[in-house]
Amino acid sequence: MSEMWINMGPQHPMTHGLWNLRVRIEGEVILDVDPEMGYLHRGIEKISEDRHYNEVITLMDRTCYVAGLAWEHLYMLAAEEALHIRPPERAQYLRVLCEEFQRIASHLMWYAAFVQDIGLMSPFLYGMRDRDLILDLFQSYTGARMTYEYMRAGGVRNDLPPGFTDRARKVLDWLLPRFHEYDQLCLGSDIFHKRCDGLGKLSAEECIRHGVTGPMLRSAGRKRDLRRDRPYAVYDQLDFEVAVADGADVTGRYLVRMEEMRQSVRILYQVLDWLDRHPGPVMADQLPRWLGAPYAPVGREGYLLKRNYPKGVGFSAIEEPHGEALAYVVNEGGEHPYRVKFRSPVFANLAASRHYLVGYRVADIPPIMGSVDVCVGEVDR
Amino acid sequence: MQTDELERTLRPSLGDRITSVEAFPDTAGRVRFRREAALDVFRSVHALGFHHLSTVGGIDWVDHREVFYILWSDDTRQYVVLSTDVPASDAHVESATPVWPSANWHERETWELVDITFDHHPDLRHLLTPDGYAFHPLLRSFKLHEPEELEVKARHV
Repeated sequence: MSEMWINMGPQHPMTHGLWNLRVRIEGEVILDVDPEMGYLHRGIEKISEDRHYNEVITLMDRTCYVAGLAWEHLYMLAAEEALHIRPPERAQYLRVLCEEFQRIASHLMWYAAFVQDIGLMSPFLYGMRDRDLILDLFQSYTGARMTYEYMRAGGVRNDLPPGFTDRARKVLDWLLPRFHEYDQLCLGSDIFHKRCDGLGKLSAEECIRHGVTGPMLRSAGRKRDLRRDRPYAVYDQLDFEVAVADGADVTGRYLVRMEEMRQSVRILYQVLDWLDRHPGPVMADQLPRWLGAPYAPVGREGYLLKRNYPKGVGFSAIEEPHGEALAYVVNEGGEHPYRVKFRSPVFANLAASRHYLVGYRVADIPPIMGSVDVCVGEVDR
Repeated sequence: MQTDELERTLRPSLGDRITSVEAFPDTAGRVRFRREAALDVFRSVHALGFHHLSTVGGIDWVDHREVFYILWSDDTRQYVVLSTDVPASDAHVESATPVWPSANWHERETWELVDITFDHHPDLRHLLTPDGYAFHPLLRSFKLHEPEELEVKARHV
């Protein structure tokens, strides 16, 4: 039988975004793959060089449109280091609250899309339904459901509205038993196991060689989670387990993400308790006025002259829902960052696609790529 | 691992192939090296346990360009930054793919956006920009606005 290249994408139900997976096949067997990216390249790193530090936050929400708050947190950690600003503790807890809720929302979105890919239709609705509860919470304190623009250099824009922590606890109380239902729906289904077990294998050594991180690496049994290994914000004060699985296959990645959502709920209970007990400022006192609109709340804005403001570099790494994300911000003393570099976890996970796709069948591509959880916004930036 | 410990470990084997080892926030340090010795430095640092290459990127400092590599070690749970300067007129450096295969896409991206060529790269093609795209957007000479527009903006602020 002769070989041929086929294009899966840019418009294909498997891609979940705008990209093209070129596949070389012989019959049904995959011989080689070549992902074609760039359909969504907006030059976020370049645009950042032309904006005030606080204006870059707008771009962060659009970098990954299912985990905007995690990217805001990533950028803020690096930018604050470059600008020599330290946020108050309550703001750091609020950021962790954002990040963990965002992790659950992102994983629920993944769950909805992935399970639909392998032919189970109703879990899609359950996943989207439960994600909506979290979006409602986001809306109640950031004002938006998708593009939040909530964090600022020096803290967060506003504190939580009254009664928020109780509403959030209600959502968490509702979510926890749902994860059990999801497991019953999927792990109890023969279709799920037939389509997922033993597919897309990538051992831990291969993962590290090819830069693969996040749930894909943890599904191979490697316990690497930056929240635990290199705690940022206030993660060193929170109690949680790193989710791992063995198998290094699609089912393993499913198990890791499910366990991660449970652990996020566990973290969120602790964060909500802390927020109840510790009222305080959510914005640093001394802020450079030139950081960009919108300014700090009236009465809180410090005034530092731009002239002779110290230079600096900022470097941050967070465990984003998809894996290890990095930001590198160079402050050369101007109003705008001199250079901003982001490392997207999905970018590296996709770059390794040849190593977990070759040898499988064409019909295995949707479950395997679904288990990677591709977010094209952060790959192309 | 502290910065001075990093220097003590690397200096005997690499000598003056590394120009300096300096403190860098939240990492083990930044190792600046001569670009001719790139592969030696990559191998030495890899042997220290930095098996995971997080990213490769470039900065345009107008008179020269900087290539940086960010690496992670599972043993010490730390990042380290490698960096080298290349002249803008002759911007090329040895590819890191023989040591870290994950450098592949990161170097493709750096090549097309910052115009730094990676020698002996297995597959140096456009990744995010279309084939044949002749610009390098992350260079400082690539302006997003016309100069007069920039002026208006500056006055407004």
